[in-house]
Amino acid sequence: MAVAATSPRPPAHAPSRRARVGRAAPYLLLTPGILWLLIFFIFPTLWMLLISLSSGDIESGFRLTFDTSAYTKALGQFTPQFVNSLTYGSIATISCFLIGFPVAYTIAFRGGRYKNLILFMVIAPFFTSFLIRTLSWKILLGDNGPLLSIVKSLGIVSPDFSVLPSAFSVVAGLTYNFLPFMILPLYVSLEKIDPRLIEASHDLYAGNWGAFRHITLPLALPGVFAGTLLTFIPALGDYVNADLLGTTTTRMIGNVIQSQFFLIGNYQIPAALSFVLMAAILVAVFIYARVLGTEELTG
Amino acid sequence: MEESNVPATVRDLTRRRFLQATGATGVAAFLAACGGGLGTATPTATAVPTGTPPPGQSPSPTPQPTPSPTLGGTLHWANWPAYIDLTGAAADAGKYAPGSSPTIVNFQKQTGITVDYQEKIEDNAHFFATIQPQLVAGLSTGWDLIVMTDWMAAKLISKGWIEKIDHGAVPNCVANLRDPLKGLSWDPGNDYHYPWQSGMTGIGYDSKALTTNQITPPASIADLFTIATAHAKNVSFLTESRDTFGLVMLKLGLDPSHVTVATLQQAHDAMRPLVDAGVRFADNSYLQDFAQGKTWAAMVWSGDLAGSGTADEHFVFPTEGVMIWSDNMLIPKGAQNQPAAQAMMNYVYDPQIAGNLANAIYYVSPVKGADAVVKQLNASAPLDPTVQNLLFPGPDVVAKQHAFQAPLDADTEDTLNNLYLDLSGG
Repeated sequence: MAVAATSPRPPAHAPSRRARVGRAAPYLLLTPGILWLLIFFIFPTLWMLLISLSSGDIESGFRLTFDTSAYTKALGQFTPQFVNSLTYGSIATISCFLIGFPVAYTIAFRGGRYKNLILFMVIAPFFTSFLIRTLSWKILLGDNGPLLSIVKSLGIVSPDFSVLPSAFSVVAGLTYNFLPFMILPLYVSLEKIDPRLIEASHDLYAGNWGAFRHITLPLALPGVFAGTLLTFIPALGDYVNADLLGTTTTRMIGNVIQSQFFLIGNYQIPAALSFVLMAAILVAVFIYARVLGTEELTG
Repeated sequence: MEESNVPATVRDLTRRRFLQATGATGVAAFLAACGGGLGTATPTATAVPTGTPPPGQSPSPTPQPTPSPTLGGTLHWANWPAYIDLTGAAADAGKYAPGSSPTIVNFQKQTGITVDYQEKIEDNAHFFATIQPQLVAGLSTGWDLIVMTDWMAAKLISKGWIEKIDHGAVPNCVANLRDPLKGLSWDPGNDYHYPWQSGMTGIGYDSKALTTNQITPPASIADLFTIATAHAKNVSFLTESRDTFGLVMLKLGLDPSHVTVATLQQAHDAMRPLVDAGVRFADNSYLQDFAQGKTWAAMVWSGDLAGSGTADEHFVFPTEGVMIWSDNMLIPKGAQNQPAAQAMMNYVYDPQIAGNLANAIYYVSPVKGADAVVKQLNASAPLDPTVQNLLFPGPDVVAKQHAFQAPLDADTEDTLNNLYLDLSGG
């Protein structure tokens, strides 16, 4: 009896237990990622928000007083640096797109068996540190560097012509450093395009430009969106390029955050600046997504 | 300018190349003096300074405590670039690499302590920001020995963030600290600090670049301002705001040892047009800018160009005056290996070792008797008068030395920081 009574049970219970585990599986798989985000993103961000609204300093301790003076100071005092960040970030992103699109297009459609090799060459600079790559631009663009010494010896520019340090070199550095972030997403979306669609468009009397405008570009939009965001966001917050390749008038908001923290030892203003920067980026991204249209981006 | 009287060959000899030649003999001499023995360096008769017994007879000619049994482990030491003697590839690169400094190698041999020497300090405020959170939280900073300029040392000590030095463990320091450096208001009994090196802030220039561009080498801050007016991109000031504001105040006839909000503002206003034209602020990275031909003339620290620059790079004592300062060895609170830090302090206060060091880095040694050692090391060739003045400032230089007011009250310090940030672009 006992055996007969218990034996049908396991088959009856097993599916439900398996189903429960099955339902929980996605959450279990998400746990590491969620924990990571909580510990290294959510908590620090909340902490930074609290600091930006506190008074006091690190030695006497911070008290949450909802004092917004750090925000008024951040917005009022550092407008030129915000303008620099937005301008340089935008120009660098557009330059990355103009340089990166033909490269990605060539790799995707004309790469042939050299595809992997060219992709490797795009990523290769990442094997050295960001700092070294930026410092080498100091040598490349230097007054006696390879570029200027040739141009000067040919008499194209005057002997005391120099590019470094300037807004131009900052933008050049940003463009160079973030170019792979533009090329790779563009390549991924271009690579997925079925060449038969382009053939079909030619059959329908589309010229090369028409095929590009109506087939290639719309299908590459998700890549354009991802690429511009991956370039624009880090470029906006960057301070290394402005620090190494720029002048005192080309400083970006990242430089202000750095010097307010490291020189003055102030915690509130850098925290407030970071939030203003985040807000600015979010607004820019929303406008951008609206302009491009979300359907194209997910489709 | 001063060097035009010196024949070219001597000038070259007195610079780095001479140093590299004497370096080897100097190393041999001090290894011999310390009873160590480097297999490859055979001390010759000339290598051993007179008065030092040959190796083997007396293993320890200078007062040194027997290494106590508790010594060992690793010494984590943060210092400024161009502040230690280097040999071989590291000397050419101007960057410390493990095993490249005879002073450190010999210390490791002598004490069994592993030295983790890092050229991590390029700016007082910047370095302070990296250790402040740990100090506030009562945690270890990860460093056993740090080197900070007077004003920052005074600040750290006043906050109680520095370990007290056990004077019994540093007999060389007690005996050999030069008198003018004793009894400072912020640490009168040297309970918390011993100077690492003293130095001056003046003008450095690259004679080759200036000649090519038909510019007369600067003799004063006013001259530096003139060069900056025409070639702003090739001139740099220092990120260490006390040095920069101090020198500009001297140019304006103001007293940097008694600063006010008004005098700081005057210095700021004098620099404004030059900065707008493109003058940059550099930390110790000015050494690379000189090397790349980017900087032709700049505000620099006294020993750097002689020690780490090329033969074309010179230091001048501006006619208006120079800024003086000391960088001080401190043991931050929570240091993991205080005995090792004290052993290092004691070791570098041995006149023989201090002399060798001074002879390599061209800063003013705070150690009594180091000057005699440097003179012996350079017995065969007279020192270039400028270099002579770097190591042993003569009465004419001493008369022009000024120290920046330390400590500043909070308001004045805020003003200084904000005026500096306004110039440097925020």
